[in-house]
Amino acid sequence: MKNLQRAGLALLAVGLAAVPFVASDTLVQFGINALLVATLTQGWNIIGGFTGYPSFGNSVFYGLGTYGTAIAMAQLHLPFGVGLVAGGVLGVAFALLFGIPILRLRGPYFAIATLGLAAVMSAIVATIGFAGKNIGLILPLFRGDTLFYELSLVLLVAATGTVAWLARSRFGAGLVAIREDEDAAQVMGINTTMYKVGALALAAFFSSLAGGIHAYWITFIDPGSAFDPTLNVRMVIMTLFGGPGTIFGPVLGSFVLSAVSEVLASKVSTVASLFYGFVIVLAVVFMPKGLLDLFQGFRHSGFRYFAQNMRRFRL
Amino acid sequence: MSAPLLEIAGLSAGYGEVPVLSGVGLVIQPGEIVTLVGSNGAGKTTLLRAVSRVIAGRGTLRFDGHDLLTHTPEQVFGLGLVQVPEGRQLFDKMSVEDNLKMGAYRRKDEAGIARSFERVYELFPRMKERRTQIAGSLSGGEQQMCAIARALMAAPKLLAVDEMSLGLAPVVVDQLLAVLAEIRKQGVTVLLVEQDVFAAFTVADRGYVMETGRIVREGAISVLSNDPEVQKAYLGVQ
Repeated sequence: MKNLQRAGLALLAVGLAAVPFVASDTLVQFGINALLVATLTQGWNIIGGFTGYPSFGNSVFYGLGTYGTAIAMAQLHLPFGVGLVAGGVLGVAFALLFGIPILRLRGPYFAIATLGLAAVMSAIVATIGFAGKNIGLILPLFRGDTLFYELSLVLLVAATGTVAWLARSRFGAGLVAIREDEDAAQVMGINTTMYKVGALALAAFFSSLAGGIHAYWITFIDPGSAFDPTLNVRMVIMTLFGGPGTIFGPVLGSFVLSAVSEVLASKVSTVASLFYGFVIVLAVVFMPKGLLDLFQGFRHSGFRYFAQNMRRFRL
Repeated sequence: MSAPLLEIAGLSAGYGEVPVLSGVGLVIQPGEIVTLVGSNGAGKTTLLRAVSRVIAGRGTLRFDGHDLLTHTPEQVFGLGLVQVPEGRQLFDKMSVEDNLKMGAYRRKDEAGIARSFERVYELFPRMKERRTQIAGSLSGGEQQMCAIARALMAAPKLLAVDEMSLGLAPVVVDQLLAVLAEIRKQGVTVLLVEQDVFAAFTVADRGYVMETGRIVREGAISVLSNDPEVQKAYLGVQ
């Protein structure tokens, strides 16, 4: 069974990798977006799903990744690889610097503090001449959707692999303990501060790299789009939709929701966001623990699964 | 006389600007059961917090030959000073067995952990029966057993139990006291912090009485329980 699962996953990865060679340009572009958003969602899963800290600062990591890459390439004329590293370093450094004070806060206080960061960052960046102020930066043009697609896929596989490692490692068990009861985790001799900062840095690493790839692909960034707080909201929704604290839930959730919003946007353009909201409300009511739980629960108890959920969560 | 396992002298600690403990002294020899009693707000839990380095303190704080003041809370835990916190603090949504595993989180000796599991299940057969049950669904007494079992999984030298009797039926408290005596037989020193003086005195060798952040009485249980002041204040003897 384990081997079968592994073979299936490998096959899926190869299948996904083959997409740009057979599919239309539109589909490949949709794929790049979906893969990058899935990577961001997986990053949020590390801090939000495993550690239980509802971060609204992940879009800041994404933004710093885009700016690190854009400044290195547009202002310093460095190659893309160096730019990507610069973006990653910037994101992780920021997570380490601000994680230590902010991760002392719990629950809603933590959420609000990170939300503040997102708002402040775009204002700060808009005043820095080197970062293009509020006009933004234009990166050198590179036509290579296949490369961007494969790069995004590799990043998503790396992020998912990291989460799979988390799920069975000592470090990951420590994070889950923090989520379940932080005081008890401390009593068990877990250095909670170090663990939380580590989780945030991991999330920042993947988010900023995703930002770097996106910046070079789109070739234009400005403070508004780089530090867009709704991007963070999407990460939260997609994680919850798929199943927080699981390995494949967030990936599945973000693929499904990306597809749903794409289809809605092209078929019923004007009221697409209304339908999107409707889908999310239905999801919260009928499968509050995510898609993965739905699959397991449905196999176990059929349609009664929905009734059980509604009763359990008093809806 | 051998070196004490825990030695506290002239310890002062508090929260921010508010001092709670002033000049507290307490000594525990290896293999003893020592109880710290006192009414609500006397500073008992604060003392435990200072000892486990969760709050800052000044004075002498030595455990098993180490100066605790230079250690972080995680390091204190690693030295073998393990707490069963007030209110138990179990991982409510995890199974009993996973809770116990979390107790051994910092240990890497697989064989030793397996032995601890055996020993703990022998001590608490009920925990073995319920090992797959979610900890939050246990009864109060079982949760306290689970909390003590979890602490034992860390292979402590000193087990500090805070308010073990809180919210439990007297008959359950008696069972737990018997377990503490058994734990001591297996070589673990116990510090029992209690409001229930009666219960604490049935199992301890020596006791300390705390009032408003100071130790006001100390001695063998036989002496303390005959002390008229202690009798009047804590044992209800007129």
